[in-house]
Amino acid sequence: MKALPPSPELRRRQGWALSRAACLPILLLLNACGGSNGNQPVNLKGGLPVGAVLSLTGNANVYGQDQKIGLELAQAALKPGSPLPLQLRIEDGGSDEAGATSAFNLLIKGGSAALIGPTLSQQAFAADPIAQRRGVAVLAPSNTATGIPELGSFISRVSAQSSVIAPLSIAKALELHPQIKRAAVFYAQDDAYSTAETTIFQKALTEKGLKPITVQRTQLNDQDFLNQITAALQLKPDLVVLSLQAVDGGNLIRQLRELGYKGTIVVGNGMNTPNIYPICQRACDGILIAQAYSPELPSAANRAFVASYKAKQGGAIPPQLTAQAYAAYQVIAEAAARLNQQQPLQGKSLRQVRLLLNKEILSGSYDTPLGRISFSPAGEVQQESFFVAQVRMNTDGRSGRFALLN
Amino acid sequence: MLDVSLLVQMLLGALLALAVYLPLRAGQLSLATPGFYAIGGTVAALLSTRAPALAGDGELYPLSSVLLELLLALLLAGALALVIGGPVLRLQGIYLAIATIALVEILRVLLLNSSWFGGAVGIFAIPQPFDGPEGYLGAYGLLLALVCWGCHWLEQQPLGRAMAAIRDDELAARCMGVDTDRVKLLAFLFSALVAAAAGVLAAHYFNSWNARQASFDASITSLAFVVLGGSRTWLGPVLGGLLLTALPELLRPVGDLRLIVFGLVILLGPVLIPQGLIPRGLINPKRP
Repeated sequence: MKALPPSPELRRRQGWALSRAACLPILLLLNACGGSNGNQPVNLKGGLPVGAVLSLTGNANVYGQDQKIGLELAQAALKPGSPLPLQLRIEDGGSDEAGATSAFNLLIKGGSAALIGPTLSQQAFAADPIAQRRGVAVLAPSNTATGIPELGSFISRVSAQSSVIAPLSIAKALELHPQIKRAAVFYAQDDAYSTAETTIFQKALTEKGLKPITVQRTQLNDQDFLNQITAALQLKPDLVVLSLQAVDGGNLIRQLRELGYKGTIVVGNGMNTPNIYPICQRACDGILIAQAYSPELPSAANRAFVASYKAKQGGAIPPQLTAQAYAAYQVIAEAAARLNQQQPLQGKSLRQVRLLLNKEILSGSYDTPLGRISFSPAGEVQQESFFVAQVRMNTDGRSGRFALLN
Repeated sequence: MLDVSLLVQMLLGALLALAVYLPLRAGQLSLATPGFYAIGGTVAALLSTRAPALAGDGELYPLSSVLLELLLALLLAGALALVIGGPVLRLQGIYLAIATIALVEILRVLLLNSSWFGGAVGIFAIPQPFDGPEGYLGAYGLLLALVCWGCHWLEQQPLGRAMAAIRDDELAARCMGVDTDRVKLLAFLFSALVAAAAGVLAAHYFNSWNARQASFDASITSLAFVVLGGSRTWLGPVLGGLLLTALPELLRPVGDLRLIVFGLVILLGPVLIPQGLIPRGLINPKRP
C-alpha cells in the first residue's frame, strides 16, 4: 500500500513539535556560554560571596533545616559592622550526590570564594572533589565520616569525626548502668553514615568486652522494623545501639519501646537533632547521644549564640547541627576579615582569593559556640571537649531537650 | 542557571532514556536500565581505583584506560543481558517489568553487602580522565550522538521495523515470520550496552559510585523521561531525558516550590500530551 502524503494538519503539528524540540538545545547552548573562570577580579559588591549547600529536600532535610537556622543566625550576628561581610547564598543540595554536585557547580560558577556543606558525608565524597579541582575551599559543617578532609587540600570540617565522639556515649551508658551485658546493634545497611558509624560503635563495644549479641540490618527508607526488633528482643538485650538517620531511627525507637524493650538505648549522630521529637515522641525519652556541642558552654561566643537561637526559636535550646553550621560561617567570616586586613582583597583575582582564603581558614584559631577550635594541616577540626546528652521529653510528648550528663 | 556540568547530567539523562526506549520500541517494558548502568559504573570504579597499572603517569587518568573499562563493561553487561534476557523476555507487560525490577534489586543488594564494592559508602576518589566538565560534555555528547545515530539508523532497518511490528502486535509479527524472541533479545541487549556505557562515564564524572545508583527510583525516573518525551521515535526520550534532568535545576529560582512544580510537570505531561513531546509521525511521517 502506498503511503499517503502528510496532511496539512499533520504538517502543522510536525512543525510545532519540531520547534519545541529545537528550542531546548538552543536555550542550553546560550546558557552554557559565560560564567566564571576564576581569572576575573573577585566581586566584593555586597560582601565576599560564599555559598552553602544544605539538604533542604529529601530525607536529610531534617538536618538541613537545623543548619539553615545556624547560618542565618550567624549572618545576622556577624554581618553588621564587619569591614568585609560575607554575601551568603544558600542552595538546596537535595539528599543525594547529584543534587550536591549540581549545587556545588552552580555556586562555584557563581563566583563563591568558599563553600559550606554539603550536609551528608555521602554527598561530600562526590561533590568535594569538584571544589578541590577548582581550588575552592570547602568547610563541612556536618560530615562525620572518616576520610573527608583527606579528599584534598581545600577540604576541611568543623564537625568532629564519629570515630572520636561515638565511643563516648557507649562509655557513658556503661558508667550509668554497669550491669549491662548484652548489646544489640542496628544500622541501615544502605546508608554510608550508618554503616561507617556502626563499625565504630561495634569496635567500641568489643573493646569494652561487650561483643554485640546481634547485628540487625535495616534500610534507610524502611518504616516497619518488626522483624528486626523481634529477632533482637528474643536474645534479651539490655543495651541497644543504633546507627540510623533521624526518620528511620525515630520510628525504630518508637517501635522498640512499643514492643516492650525497657533497657538503655544509645544512638549515633544521625539522630542528633530535635527534629526526632515528633517522630519517636515519648519513646525518645532517655536515649543517650554523644555531642560535639554543649549549649551550657560558658564562653561569650556560645552565650551570644544560645541567646540569639532562643530568641528566634521561642526559647528552645540549640542543637549541635545548628551550632556547627554557625561555627562554619564564623570561621569563614573571621578568616576573610583577617585576610582582608593583611592584604586588601579588592582587585585580586577570584582564583587568588580562593587560594588565600583556604590558607587563612586552616591557619587560624576561632572562638566559636563549639568552644575554641582550630584545624590540623589536613583540615580536620581540633576541638577541646565533647559531651554526652540524654534526651528528656516533656509531658506533651512533642517537645523535649538534650540534657547534658556530667 | 545552566552550566556545563548540568549539561553533562542532561546528556546522561538522555542516554538512560534511550536505554529504556530501546526495549520499549519492541513493546517490552524493561526497568532493568539502572542495573546495567550500575554494572558499567562499578566496572569503571573498580578498575580505576584498584588497578594501579591503568592509572598512567600523568596527572589525568589516561583515556585509553577509560576505553578499556568501557570495553569490559560492555562485554559484562552484554553477556548478562544475553544470559538473563532469554528467560526474562518470555514474560510480558507488567510481569516483565516486575522481573526486571527484581534484577535491579538483586544487583543493588549484591553491591551493598559486598565489602569488595565498598558497601553502602561505595567506591570513592575515582580518578578523572578530564580536567573539567567540558571533557565529559564532549565524551557524553559523542556517545549520545553515536547512540542517536544508531537508533535513527535502526528505525530504517528491517530489525527496527521488526521491533515496531512486535510493539504493535506481537502475534501478527510472529505470523509474518518475524523471529520475535531474537528481536526482543537484541533490543534488550542494545539497551544494556547503552546503559553500561553511560555508567562507565558517570562513575568518573560523579567521583564516587555506590549501590544507590541502581535503585527502583532510578528505574522510574528513566521511565518518566520516555513517558514525557514520547516513545515513538528516538528523539522523544532524548528530549524527555534532557528536559526532566534540567528542570529541577532550572526551577531553582522558584525556591522551595521547585520540586512541586517538577512533580506537576511529570503529572500533567502525560495527561495533556499523552503521546509525549515528540508524537508519532514526526521523524518518519511515511511510516504506516
